[in-house]
Amino acid sequence: MGKYIVGRLLRWIPSIFILLLLIYALVFFGAGDPIKLIFLRAPGDVAYDEARIEAIRESAGLNRPFPVQFGDYISHIIRGDFGNSLVSGRSVNEMLSAAVPVTLQIGLTAVFFLALIGILLGVIAALNQNKLIDNLIVGFALFIWGIPVFVSGPLIIVFMVMVIGADIPYGWSGLFSPKVIVPLLVLGLNPMALIIRQARAAVLEVMSEDYVRTARAKGLPSQIVVFRHMLRPVLIPVFSQLGLIVINTLNNSILIEKVFGLPGLGRLTESAIKDSDYPVILAIVLIFSIVVMLSNLLVDIMYPLLDPRAEYKRKGGEE
Amino acid sequence: MSAALISLACTMVVFAGGGKETSSVESGQVLRIAHPTLTQSWSPLQGGGHQVRWQSLMWAAPMYFDKEGNLQPYVISKAEPSSDFVTWRLSVNPKAVFSDGSPITAEDVKGTWDLCVIPSTKHQRADLFLGGVKGFKEVASGTQKSLSGIVVKDSRTLEVILSEPDPIFDQKIATALIPPVKISQARDANGEEKREWWHPKNKVVVSGPFMPESMDLDQGIVVLVPNPNFFGPKPKLSRIIITTVSDASTATLMLKTGKMDAHTELITPTLIDDLGADFVSGPPLAKGHHFWFDYSKPPMDDINVRKALIMCINSEDLAKAAYPKGPYIPATQILNKVPGVDPNFQKYPYDPEGAKKALAASKYKEGRLLPKIMFVGISTPTHEAAAQYMAEQWRKILGIEGVEMKADLDSYSGPDQKSVQIFRDDVGTRVPDAVSYLLGSIHSSSGNARGKMGGYKNPKVDALLDEAKTKGVKDPARIKLAQEAQRIFRDDYMYIPYYYDVMSKWAMPWVMNFDKNDDWQVIEPWNVYIDESKKVKK
Repeated sequence: MGKYIVGRLLRWIPSIFILLLLIYALVFFGAGDPIKLIFLRAPGDVAYDEARIEAIRESAGLNRPFPVQFGDYISHIIRGDFGNSLVSGRSVNEMLSAAVPVTLQIGLTAVFFLALIGILLGVIAALNQNKLIDNLIVGFALFIWGIPVFVSGPLIIVFMVMVIGADIPYGWSGLFSPKVIVPLLVLGLNPMALIIRQARAAVLEVMSEDYVRTARAKGLPSQIVVFRHMLRPVLIPVFSQLGLIVINTLNNSILIEKVFGLPGLGRLTESAIKDSDYPVILAIVLIFSIVVMLSNLLVDIMYPLLDPRAEYKRKGGEE
Repeated sequence: MSAALISLACTMVVFAGGGKETSSVESGQVLRIAHPTLTQSWSPLQGGGHQVRWQSLMWAAPMYFDKEGNLQPYVISKAEPSSDFVTWRLSVNPKAVFSDGSPITAEDVKGTWDLCVIPSTKHQRADLFLGGVKGFKEVASGTQKSLSGIVVKDSRTLEVILSEPDPIFDQKIATALIPPVKISQARDANGEEKREWWHPKNKVVVSGPFMPESMDLDQGIVVLVPNPNFFGPKPKLSRIIITTVSDASTATLMLKTGKMDAHTELITPTLIDDLGADFVSGPPLAKGHHFWFDYSKPPMDDINVRKALIMCINSEDLAKAAYPKGPYIPATQILNKVPGVDPNFQKYPYDPEGAKKALAASKYKEGRLLPKIMFVGISTPTHEAAAQYMAEQWRKILGIEGVEMKADLDSYSGPDQKSVQIFRDDVGTRVPDAVSYLLGSIHSSSGNARGKMGGYKNPKVDALLDEAKTKGVKDPARIKLAQEAQRIFRDDYMYIPYYYDVMSKWAMPWVMNFDKNDDWQVIEPWNVYIDESKKVKK
């Protein structure tokens, strides 16, 4: 297993390099002049003095050829230095060290709870197939899957102020602050629908398996059948969705953090894109890519633990 | 939909009677400002970006214009020109001190202005204020680090030598965008701006009425408290909290429910419905939006076509189409707000019959024979409504069917990009001066004439403005010549007047004395207070 993980990690290096090259090229050749874009970041801003803009571009080293700039960037990345923001001159490392923990805390907590509740609801729905409770859960899943977070976020804020008369849950005071509950809920709702549907489908499939029928025929209590015999195979398809859920969560964090004022990677992304601050954009892309790759690696590592046949196949065995 | 929800929410909140007063604290009044971007730099030497709108809270400008538009001393107490307006002697206010009590010196002023001009500082507007100073080009291009035209005579006196006469140099430096900073704190050994010197963690000293107590750049929260050593009047507010609220709906709800008192700049389609007309009201700006004809492109190369198109438009209906609930003022002449607005200016008539006659007199004769008319600058629903109104008038009156409108040139395909004839854009001036206004809008050297009007050049207009700019501010000939130039320009039928801008205060009605100037700055931050009786009761 250790060899496998090291192999996977080594294979990341060219992937990340190509990704960075692509993003850097996109920004370099396609996104317009970064200095002009920085100058034009607020209404009423001006960028008409070409000579001055050229001088600023030169002072920032932006008029060097693409390979030189990219090579310079990569050499800094290798040393763990993401450079400085073009807009503020602030260290990107410093910005990330503040933003990453917030997004990670919220993202992981949301994924944990959405998985827990999603699996539970999926199992309940499957055990009550075609009954009212199944219809309610499936209907709920469809409903939340259909509402994008940029609608549900503001809607929940309006609802809270309107019905509860509560304060707007805005800002960040740590993971254990009550203010985090609503953003977590909004962040988790959408991917939870995916889990519910996957879990329900998996339970329905497992329920028709011989070993479940045998367990029931033996007279085992329902809870034992579910938790001991059904849950593990049910987790396999659910777990395989982890990569997708992580991507979804990261995407949604951009909107959630903006709406609820959370100082995480999502809000930083929005601000960097608005300002065309490409050292920040590149660093965030890199972090997002690593998180997605890590989550996929985690799935690969966990998969054989849930399904030993996967390990057997990986070692070259035939089914 | 969102507007309706917000309104419903707020109405419910008001009727529910829940919540509590938010902006009055025991120790005094707190002004809460919602800021739309996660600002990572609060350097006062950037000259642009959203954070620049709050510069006057922390930094004293060299000079400033009061609400009536009169030039007032601030850090610079006196600006005296030589008789030829080439050399200016600036005296630093002897009372001017930083928040640590140390005096603001002539070296600080010169050092700050040098720093504003060097490229690595990335000051966006240094040329507007200091572009006329001798040595500007060398510093702006990065070959020099010190403006040779600014000479420190003694700790309280500067001599500024300009490249050419400028009778309004004192007005140009009346801006909070080049505020003197403690140069030993802001500049490093290489003569460049130190990183994060403006952060309270680096014990920044400021010169304005408020000073930063804390700046959480990651959360986007800046807290300001009164500067105990401020050399002006004592501020009435005890605290200002600027919080990043990127989402416009959340910000609107916060303002409506009294969680916030003001906003840096909030633009939503339902703003007036949500927050009332007072929120966006403000004094007129010396800035007008117009539709400019590119007279190098057919059919605008024919003055009769231009005349016909203009006479189809009722200027009041045009402004109303875009902003049915205000607060913008329909435009007529180019000049507005500045001294020298022409009281005898003949606005273009709304005359459908005259328009038909003008078109008949053109080489095209009929509307259906005109080339397709293409707009750019139709970048918002409001501008689109205005352009639609014009297209409809042209269709009804002149029978013109082919009209296209897009946000920018890139939106047109290659060949069409070269044929666009109408540009919607604004012109204006920062200084209350008619000549500056027209030099930047209708003189052949202006970007507006060169770009949007297709290289427009009327030698008579140029000659009058060139002569006007050499006249002193108090010389009546300065304004007279400018007005004459504008009248000649009018007869060239080069633009459709649209509307004059206002400087919206973006503050709730309970925020008092929140007037802003043309640089978006609160003019007298020390006078701002909150009228609790006007505050929303939840």
